[in-house]
Amino acid sequence: MPSTTSTGLTPARTPFEFKSAAPLLFIEREQASNLEELLQALQTCPDGSIFQHTFRTLEEHHFIKEGFSNDFAHWAYTDLREVGLGERLTGLDVREFTSIAKLRERLIQIVEEFRAATPSAEESTSKTPFYFCSSKITVLPTEHSATTLAEFIDGLKQVSLHSIHYHFIEARLRRELETNDFSIWLRRDLGLEQEAKRLNQIDIYTSTLEGVRRKILQTLQKVG
Amino acid sequence: MTDPVHSKIEPLQAGSAGVRVDENAKDTASGQVRTRRKPQISDTPPAPPPAPTLADYEPIIGKSQLDELRFVARPLQGKRVKMVNSTAMGGGVAEMLNRLVPLLDELGVKTSWEVITGGNDFFEVTKGFHNALHGADFALTPVGREVFLRNTEQNRKRMSFDEDFVVIHDPQPAGLIASKSGSSRWVWRCHIDLSHPNPDVWGFLQPMVDKYDAAVFSSPAFARRLAIPQALFYPCIDPLSDKNKDLDESYIQSVCDNFGVDRQRPIVTQISRFDRLKDPLGVIQAYKMAKKYVDFQLVLAGGGATDDPEGAVVLREVNEAAGEDPDIIILDLPPWCALEINALQRASTIVVQKSLKEGFGLTVTEALWKAKPTIASSVGGIPTQVIDKHTGALVHSVEGCAYQIRYLLTHPEFGTQLGKNGREHVKENFLMTTNARRWVLLFGILSGATA
Repeated sequence: MPSTTSTGLTPARTPFEFKSAAPLLFIEREQASNLEELLQALQTCPDGSIFQHTFRTLEEHHFIKEGFSNDFAHWAYTDLREVGLGERLTGLDVREFTSIAKLRERLIQIVEEFRAATPSAEESTSKTPFYFCSSKITVLPTEHSATTLAEFIDGLKQVSLHSIHYHFIEARLRRELETNDFSIWLRRDLGLEQEAKRLNQIDIYTSTLEGVRRKILQTLQKVG
Repeated sequence: MTDPVHSKIEPLQAGSAGVRVDENAKDTASGQVRTRRKPQISDTPPAPPPAPTLADYEPIIGKSQLDELRFVARPLQGKRVKMVNSTAMGGGVAEMLNRLVPLLDELGVKTSWEVITGGNDFFEVTKGFHNALHGADFALTPVGREVFLRNTEQNRKRMSFDEDFVVIHDPQPAGLIASKSGSSRWVWRCHIDLSHPNPDVWGFLQPMVDKYDAAVFSSPAFARRLAIPQALFYPCIDPLSDKNKDLDESYIQSVCDNFGVDRQRPIVTQISRFDRLKDPLGVIQAYKMAKKYVDFQLVLAGGGATDDPEGAVVLREVNEAAGEDPDIIILDLPPWCALEINALQRASTIVVQKSLKEGFGLTVTEALWKAKPTIASSVGGIPTQVIDKHTGALVHSVEGCAYQIRYLLTHPEFGTQLGKNGREHVKENFLMTTNARRWVLLFGILSGATA
């Protein structure tokens, strides 16, 4: 019979291996100074660009907890000065997307709808173009793994924010599921159904990534 | 290496540093006359400190980040890299290589650094190229081409290239690509802005650049459309260099005392060469506008007035604009005053960089690293660093600069938040260790080791 831990939970049969991810940025050919160019570039840019300017924004600017949800929104606000478009793009939540193709479709749809509703915006030009970049991700091991909740909490405290982003935010693209690596393991291997659900409710757009780490820890430290 | 090293401020030598001194400056706050001590600046550079080791960075970036850097480098153990540039001393590239090469070496990527040689005629041509690639007029003559190609050939014969990776910095050694052979991967690291190059010079260099396996630029705005992959490496600062390392409070105080800067009152500082493109006169105008509402001192500190005739003219204009105002402190410092610059930045309430044109703007990076509320022009690479209202304040005019000074001096809690965010932004994106990670990632991708 498997032994239990101080929380009364059975140790996981499959350990949680904390990984991390190191991005390298590349400059792509696409750039945009107005809505038409933005739309065209959104249609032709590599998947890595869509990923870089949405999912990766949260990692590059992990210390900001308001108004910086993706690079397209920021550019629309501050450079193109189309506040309406900026707002619509800011409302986009990457957690609703489990594929880059769907995310690209949604971005295109937002820009097309804004163009149709705001003919005057066709004249808007930004002095600072939006330069499309992309990131190549190298997945890295870390020295942290866990078979118990205590080990998981300990690992979570010590890994880098890149690791948090990799498991908690990027994971849905890899798994093609609207969840994250932490919740999957906590539910499947430790039976922590409610906690797994609560983790999925943490708002990544109103917290810094360090704040996200704190909220995950707070949720798990209440167990047992 | 983590303990701050204090420089001893040596007695001022006659004619050493052109420091503007107000012997009897009137304190406008108290209405009393206060005496400023004559600043003391060494007239010789101090011995360079030893290069830090990877472990020295752990207290700054954390163990997890350092572990990740080591993991990234693991597949490249034993690989060899050669860095080539045009100067061993002076300039940002040499300064960066001085720190990067030992770090890569310690990561197990054996890295050597060689400098090309050439006569005066070669460096005159390459200086012309440099300016032309920034958009200046330049007549590329057959003689100029011949000088460039001849010197390139001489360097090719003198140097060997049997490393796994060769990194060529900037246009001067770009022609060495003719030595590429076998499975070695060559990278062209362009540190300059190529957005509007002289077409003749770029037309001459581009066929060489196209033969590289990849290019690296400091900003997407600086890049050209090329057939090869273009990586984005932001310029970086070394948090352990004299200019950026932590300093003891007593040292900061001694520097301020030496320069006549009153730490009991707010201090707004611009660190930059006395160069029109840094707009020191605009900063003085902004100071005068803001001073009507808030009390503070303005420090304009930098160099360039002794080795650049135009710098001397600008310094004179700055002195004239400052007039007899004792709260404008103008310091023309020699290039080896990194510790003093560091102390001035740390003593500042706000740091300003009101450039009219800028490269990446590493003085902004330095200020952000010190968690200083930073007001900077929206030019060059500054908007990459200063995200308006998040990591600092972006301005577009003298009036905007004056307003932001007033606002930040009267809303210190907002300034504190900007400073905190700014430091995190630098930690994530613009530190030497991030730069080392980018290089090993690029080598890994080019060699297929970590693709």
